Amino acid sequence: MFVLDTLLIGSLRFVLDKVVAAAEAEMQDDSALRQRLLEAQMEHELGEITDDEFAAIERDVLARMRELKGGESHGAISMSKGVTVDVEER
Amino acid sequence: MSRNGKRPKAVTFLFFGGKGGVGKTTCAAARAVAEARRRARVLVVSTDPAHSLGDALAVRLSARVTRLPVPVAFDALELDAPRAFARWIANHGEAVADIIANGTWLDRRDIDALLGLSLPGVDELVGLLEIMALAGRDPLYDFVIVDAAPTGHLLRLLAAPDAVAAIAAVFDALQEDHRIMRREFGRLGRPEAADRLIELLVDQAARTRALLRDRRRTTFEWVMLPEELSLEETKDGIAALRRNRFHVGGVIVNRVLPAGPPCPICDRRRVEESRVVARVRRTFADLPVRLVPEQLHEPRGIRSLGAVARLVAGKEAALRRQTSLRRRPSASAAYADAGSLPARRQRSAPETLEALRGARVLFFVGKGGVGKTTTAAATALRLARRDPARRVLLLSTDPAPSLADVFAVSIGDRATTIRGGPNNLRVRELDARAVLKARRAGLESALAELGATLGARESSAEQLLDLAPPGIDELFALLTVTELMAPPNDEGEPPEYDLLVVDAAPTGHTLRLLEMPAAAREWVQLLMRVQLKYRAIARPGRFAQEIVELSQSIRRLQALFHDPDATRFVVVTRAAKVPQLETDRLFDRLRALGLAAPIVVVNARTLAPGRCPRCRLSAAAERRILAAVERRCGRRRCAIIQTPLVAPPPRGPTMLERWASRWIA
Repeated sequence: MFVLDTLLIGSLRFVLDKVVAAAEAEMQDDSALRQRLLEAQMEHELGEITDDEFAAIERDVLARMRELKGGESHGAISMSKGVTVDVEER
Repeated sequence: MSRNGKRPKAVTFLFFGGKGGVGKTTCAAARAVAEARRRARVLVVSTDPAHSLGDALAVRLSARVTRLPVPVAFDALELDAPRAFARWIANHGEAVADIIANGTWLDRRDIDALLGLSLPGVDELVGLLEIMALAGRDPLYDFVIVDAAPTGHLLRLLAAPDAVAAIAAVFDALQEDHRIMRREFGRLGRPEAADRLIELLVDQAARTRALLRDRRRTTFEWVMLPEELSLEETKDGIAALRRNRFHVGGVIVNRVLPAGPPCPICDRRRVEESRVVARVRRTFADLPVRLVPEQLHEPRGIRSLGAVARLVAGKEAALRRQTSLRRRPSASAAYADAGSLPARRQRSAPETLEALRGARVLFFVGKGGVGKTTTAAATALRLARRDPARRVLLLSTDPAPSLADVFAVSIGDRATTIRGGPNNLRVRELDARAVLKARRAGLESALAELGATLGARESSAEQLLDLAPPGIDELFALLTVTELMAPPNDEGEPPEYDLLVVDAAPTGHTLRLLEMPAAAREWVQLLMRVQLKYRAIARPGRFAQEIVELSQSIRRLQALFHDPDATRFVVVTRAAKVPQLETDRLFDRLRALGLAAPIVVVNARTLAPGRCPRCRLSAAAERRILAAVERRCGRRRCAIIQTPLVAPPPRGPTMLERWASRWIA
């Protein structure tokens, strides 16, 4: 029974670990945001979006990047009662 | 070699090289006349993008062969490089599109857009191939005489076979995957058009390379003026040709002043010239040195060229007698004062300053040899001296720069002060190749990424950079102007310099350089579109970053150049017919490009002819041309600056400044 519990919790923990890491990566890695900005720059250079539209995208992207930076300091994310997963700081 | 007798088997190619304005065109045309008189079948071709062959022959020429009238019937044409390239694309565009389609993920629409763009520099390579292809199995001509572009660009043109070989290698790499696939599926059969094109290019490159270096078939005649500056340039040019194993046939010293009655200007010129000629003979003891005396009237048209013809084609020994130049002028004439100038030159001074005031970029343009470097250097020195708080950079963009020769010091690609010059003046000879080299690492990884984006093999990116398409390096070099004068952060730091004085390459190539930002912008935009289109497959990264920055940089440069308050083009000319014709065309082209040219410098005017018949004749001819310049300038509302002819031409900061003080108050 103990073995089964351990196995169950162990695999649950493993899955949760992966999910959290992926979510964390998505949020912490700003490469998607940088890419969005780069695409907007290209569209702007091509005249496909106006100065104002570009400025709006730039503001949005920068704000989200700042958010990301602010979020980094939390260090751990709580998934549910009793189960706490530690996430290493990058 | 006769028309009636046996047909010779081979064509002889004669290239006339030298710095702009030394009389390459005149000598090439005169040689054509000489060979045609010997009943050889002759074609004379101009490859300079700013043609003056028609002006010299006084015939309207085009990209089609024009037969000149008997008794000296020969053919002439002015090569239209962009059209030659268009012809090439018409013949081979399909195959090129196949290669790109086979080697990348680009679709047909992208490829067609790509092939529709102009490729600065590549058109000239095609032009050279067309000329050299005249050495076919049943040649139409005994002599193909090439009036080549000024030195810097001639040397690049002669590297055409290597560029073609590099293009073939890139195509080959792109085609390789496709070949593997065809082998896999067992559909080998006939070679495709694409493979045939690659083979053709490899073959053409090898044949042209060999032909250009075959001393029995191809000879370079070097044309120069009997001036110190010209000799320095000749040494560099001939050394560069020989380094590349081209055969130099001889040196022509053009416009040597013949003996005449005493005259303060002419006598000083003669002293200087005989010294230079003696040095030429010593320096090139292994080469025939031919002297062509200055003609009383500008040699235009077949008849006046006939007088020069004997001299450029004759035996050296005979020439020495004919020109009777060996007589040494009296020593007392050397380095006398240049003589007083009439009061009218004073009048131009305030006007000069007004036209120059407030500019951030002064771009000196004009036909080769009119004195761009000298006037640009003198202007930069004078303006820096007048205003010590102003940081001035004198920058040469000519691939064959002569700033160092004018200042009589060595100058390189790093901005340096000139000993004896003002402290706030820096001088730099821009080395386009070095600029590209410095950016190479960044460009290489960006290009490799582009290759990956488009599905090309890795090696093609590197090969593409090895090829360093002519013109691309010059574009990057020009963009350094933006970095110097219009830094990216508009509010932030001030530009490195307050005033930039540009000493540009001769007209033809400077115009191309000025057209380049627009052409490059089209390229960059196409690349951005491709990048956005395939963003799902290949995420924009390093390459996208590079092209965005390039696009922004080009836009800033265009804004700077098109602001008439900031950038002024100073058109330098001489009061003679051929430079005048080119100046007119230059004005039109600048206006078509939307660039402001509010200043004309009529350089080296014979302002105090005294009693010397030759000087008086020159002065009278100059006045007629000047009147025409004034009429046109009146309409265009541009200021005219006249600079006095001094002998020897000003060299070194002290002489330059003294000279400039006579025309810039």
